[in-house]
Amino acid sequence: MMNDRLRAFSGQIIAIGVALLLGAIIILMVGESPVRVLMTLLRGAFGDQEKIAGTLLQTTPILICGVAACIGLRGGMFNVGIEGQLFLGGFAAAWVGFSFSLPPGIHTLAALALAIAAGAAWVAIPAYFRARYNTNEVVSTILSNYIAVLLTSYFTIFLFKRPGGWSETPPILATAYLPEIFSFSRLNWGLAIGLLLAVGVALVFRYTSWGYGVTMVGSAPKFAEYGGVNVKRQGFVVLLLSGAVGGLAGGVETLGVHHRFMEGFAPGFGFDGLIAALLANGSPVATIVTALFFGALRSGSLLLEVDTSASREIITVIQALIILSVSAQVLIKRRGDSQAGERRWKF
Amino acid sequence: MEILDKLINVALIAATLRTTAPILLVALGGSFTTKAGIFNIGLEGQMLAGAFFAVIGSIWTGSAFAGVACGVAAALAFALAFAVLVVTFRANEVVVGLALNILAGGMTISLMKAIFGTRGSIVGHGIVGLPKVQIPGAQALLGSWAPLISGFTPIVYVAFIAVPLLVLFYNRTRLGLYIRVVGEKPEAAEALGISITRVRYIASLLCGLLAGLAGAHLSLGYITMFTENMSSGRGFMAVAILIFSNGDPLKVLAGCLLFGFADAFSLRLQTFGFPSYLVLTVPYVVALTALFVLSYQARPKIIKETLASMQKLLSTDRNSASVDKNPQ
Repeated sequence: MMNDRLRAFSGQIIAIGVALLLGAIIILMVGESPVRVLMTLLRGAFGDQEKIAGTLLQTTPILICGVAACIGLRGGMFNVGIEGQLFLGGFAAAWVGFSFSLPPGIHTLAALALAIAAGAAWVAIPAYFRARYNTNEVVSTILSNYIAVLLTSYFTIFLFKRPGGWSETPPILATAYLPEIFSFSRLNWGLAIGLLLAVGVALVFRYTSWGYGVTMVGSAPKFAEYGGVNVKRQGFVVLLLSGAVGGLAGGVETLGVHHRFMEGFAPGFGFDGLIAALLANGSPVATIVTALFFGALRSGSLLLEVDTSASREIITVIQALIILSVSAQVLIKRRGDSQAGERRWKF
Repeated sequence: MEILDKLINVALIAATLRTTAPILLVALGGSFTTKAGIFNIGLEGQMLAGAFFAVIGSIWTGSAFAGVACGVAAALAFALAFAVLVVTFRANEVVVGLALNILAGGMTISLMKAIFGTRGSIVGHGIVGLPKVQIPGAQALLGSWAPLISGFTPIVYVAFIAVPLLVLFYNRTRLGLYIRVVGEKPEAAEALGISITRVRYIASLLCGLLAGLAGAHLSLGYITMFTENMSSGRGFMAVAILIFSNGDPLKVLAGCLLFGFADAFSLRLQTFGFPSYLVLTVPYVVALTALFVLSYQARPKIIKETLASMQKLLSTDRNSASVDKNPQ
């Protein structure tokens, strides 16, 4: 058991090593020194206390999106639509924030609640068709991302534009803010929400019969059905919860960081979260670590753009390479399995 | 009526054919992998890489066709990576496809910054676009309807000619048959001594070839420029089409014409003052609606399965059967 874990862990490390090597080659190709890029990334992510807070600030949405992805992956569902749920959740929270005036605290909670509802509502149709008619959820959620981004842009620019502003909504009232933790950074209590959520979801999966059922549906649907799980209904609920958490990520981003909704709000966090969850093999607690890793990459990449000639998108290249090499090594390990088993990403 | 005339006319149909071409090519490419039993969500990335390297090749060589060759080569490289991971290492298709898409997005932006020092888009720099083919005699033969068959770039013709060729390929050639057998009954293929690995590699590479052409059409066809993520979900729409067409070339054509029309029509609507953000959602909404409606229509099989499982439950446990009758 321990040996297995050790092997899986060392395999993961080797895969990341291979990916970093490939990344170094690509950095050389774009004409930068890999060492310089690495040092800049490290300095940008952990250089001083403000930089560390900045890394945690970037980690927050990735972590919450990662937990959303974990919920789906555990139940055998690829929710690739977290990006869209994040946008709608972000907009919904902003709308509550600038349209109503409520007492502090309650205002924040109301905005977060609507963000959660918006995320769940956005995934409801793909989830229904996935559960009822087995419509491929990967494609339907990806396509709904494009609609979500355009729709929220439409809301922002045509319906709720801040007078005199440029493609952004009015600012939310201070009563709806998620308070900041330190005076020197925009880092806010959203991080605590993310950490609690990750631990809470992990506990639910570990200790409740519902969580066990979800995991069974994800890894052995026939067995789960035989054991009395209503596989279809559960698939629907799993995607809905995953979407709800995706919406929450958007709400936290709005109330904690931007204090308004704008075009191009939080790009790529949904995909980063999915990658973080995949790298963590669907474990919410391990997602804390992988989200921190990707948060550091993101935070470091801001300095990359300033100090080197490389573009910050080089980090998405590295992330993709990591996932590719991890996906390959997971399966080398399981070569003995049947073909059907091998071709599934196992959790 | 006048508005209808303005909306729907020869120019719109010609525009539909133009906008259909890239999605048709990439979907036909995906038909190879679909038929070979691989779910290929990586089409988007192959197309994007094709579009980017077509522009690079066109600038470096000064020739549009050399540019197309570069784009195809890049898409083939992505297709090869996909095949190595999915076929040889048996990694999860969805994970590998999504990761390759992200890789293509990040790589093209990074290289754009490294080579041109700009963000956003590559315009000018001596990009050579594809020539338009004027079919001799089209004007005399069809008069004002001539734009329907003449004046497209070569890739548009390739896309539409590929449809009947693919029908023949699947029905009349040995390789086409092998691809179908590998996809539908891999055990039978193995029993016949067909190498599943080799057939899937070939299917993946054929897919890359057409996806690369589709990408080259995007960046060298009617607009000669590259912008960040310019494939904008066409690869995913192609996957949606592949799901409900099961990769049959004629059904793929029908689906792609629907999207091409939605695309061209929404561009037309924009000129009538509809908010561009809503108009731009039209192709995606059409894709999703088609996906949902057609999977709903495929329900008889599912209902049969449900009935079968209900009967099984009825014979064992009455309580759980009554729950099963009212799912959601």
